Amino acid sequence: MTCKKTQEMFTEYLTGRLSKKEREEIQTHVAECDTCRRELESLTEIWTKLGVLEEERPSDRLRTRFYSMLEQYKQAEEEIVRKEKKGLFSRLKNLWPRKPVFQFALTLGMLVMGLVIGNVWTVIPQQEAVNKALVDEVQTMRQSLAVSLIDQDSASERLQGINMSYTLVNPDDKLLDKLLSTLNSDPSVNIRLAAVEALYLFHDHPKVKKGLIDSLSQQSSPMVQAALIDLMVSIRERRAVDALKSLLEEEGVNPEIKDRAEQGIKRLSF
Amino acid sequence: MESLSDSAIMEKVRDGQVEKLAILFERHHVKIFNLFLRLTGSHNLSEDLVQDVFIRILKYRSTYEGKGKFTVWMYRVARNVHVDHLRKNKGTYNLEDQFEEPESEEDSPMHALEQKKDKELIQKALSQLPVKKREALILSRFQDMKYKEIAELFGCREGTIKANIHRAVKQLGEIYLELQGGVPS
Repeated sequence: MTCKKTQEMFTEYLTGRLSKKEREEIQTHVAECDTCRRELESLTEIWTKLGVLEEERPSDRLRTRFYSMLEQYKQAEEEIVRKEKKGLFSRLKNLWPRKPVFQFALTLGMLVMGLVIGNVWTVIPQQEAVNKALVDEVQTMRQSLAVSLIDQDSASERLQGINMSYTLVNPDDKLLDKLLSTLNSDPSVNIRLAAVEALYLFHDHPKVKKGLIDSLSQQSSPMVQAALIDLMVSIRERRAVDALKSLLEEEGVNPEIKDRAEQGIKRLSF
Repeated sequence: MESLSDSAIMEKVRDGQVEKLAILFERHHVKIFNLFLRLTGSHNLSEDLVQDVFIRILKYRSTYEGKGKFTVWMYRVARNVHVDHLRKNKGTYNLEDQFEEPESEEDSPMHALEQKKDKELIQKALSQLPVKKREALILSRFQDMKYKEIAELFGCREGTIKANIHRAVKQLGEIYLELQGGVPS
């Protein structure tokens, strides 16, 4: 290899992304070429020096600010939806007739219609009040609501409960237990997947970590298994390696999942 | 099988499930925070910028197309946030603010002092690199991004990135040496 070519590869050499063969080519070249060796040495020195800038953790304030921003954003969105509804009414105004006779007829017609509809729809204002209460809800309220929704028979309600848990910053044990038991025993695959996503947010909690690892052996759906494996890898949970290994030995496990588990083990042991 | 990929989650956020942004926040905020920390050297400022990134992701969520890697898109937003910040402040930093340190556990006071000095020096040297070179170098050194991805982010050829990072490391070495000469040891 020429000097120019070798030097072009130096920074990639430092990132560790080169193949074994390429690395060896560079090593052979610098062993013989003084200029290139000095260049590589000086680059390596500063590259290593950069290592003093270790990864740091932001303060808790950042998380608090993010979640309150998200909450505000959601409220603002709901406000917009409400306003859009109002905008619709103002457009209806253009349909108002000019001639008094027609105005009278329309008013009368609307009055009758109003009486009929009014009887049927008295429920609506109550519903809106409930919605508003939901928006204003404090964390604890959301929490108990989430728990009770997850207990419901209807799949969509259970899903709603899980979605609600996304917005909680500090879920209590009861909710975490609920999410874990949903993950292990809910009949619907989609709901179990949603539970994986929700639990991902709380993976710092020791109970959740253990629960997620234990759950691997209890799942039969390849989708959920894949989601759990991905999760273990993304949170770099080394303790999951054993559970992944036993998945490899189990009979009847989808071969694609076995592949994924194997890759997961590699990435976690790296 | 893609239920947990960043991209799949961002698509859900785009389509109205904004609360799922929390998952992406949990996955990436520390990385973005550290990107800004290395770019600016300031903790407080970096936290503000991270918050800006997630506000923008929400604001422009409808523009997410789901092509390519989510992180490339996210870093593009982060770069814009940083560039806008520089534009607003015309590159002038309050030096007092710039090198503040969180309290760290220290094994020996002398060692900690040395390390702190080292850190300040390298951070100072970094801040003297031209912005683009600084960004490319940090993305490659710390953010685990491939040249191909950085090139996609900057909208240029992979070869250009490779050459620029090489030059950036060299230049950083020169600046560092110069600064070191100015500091009594």
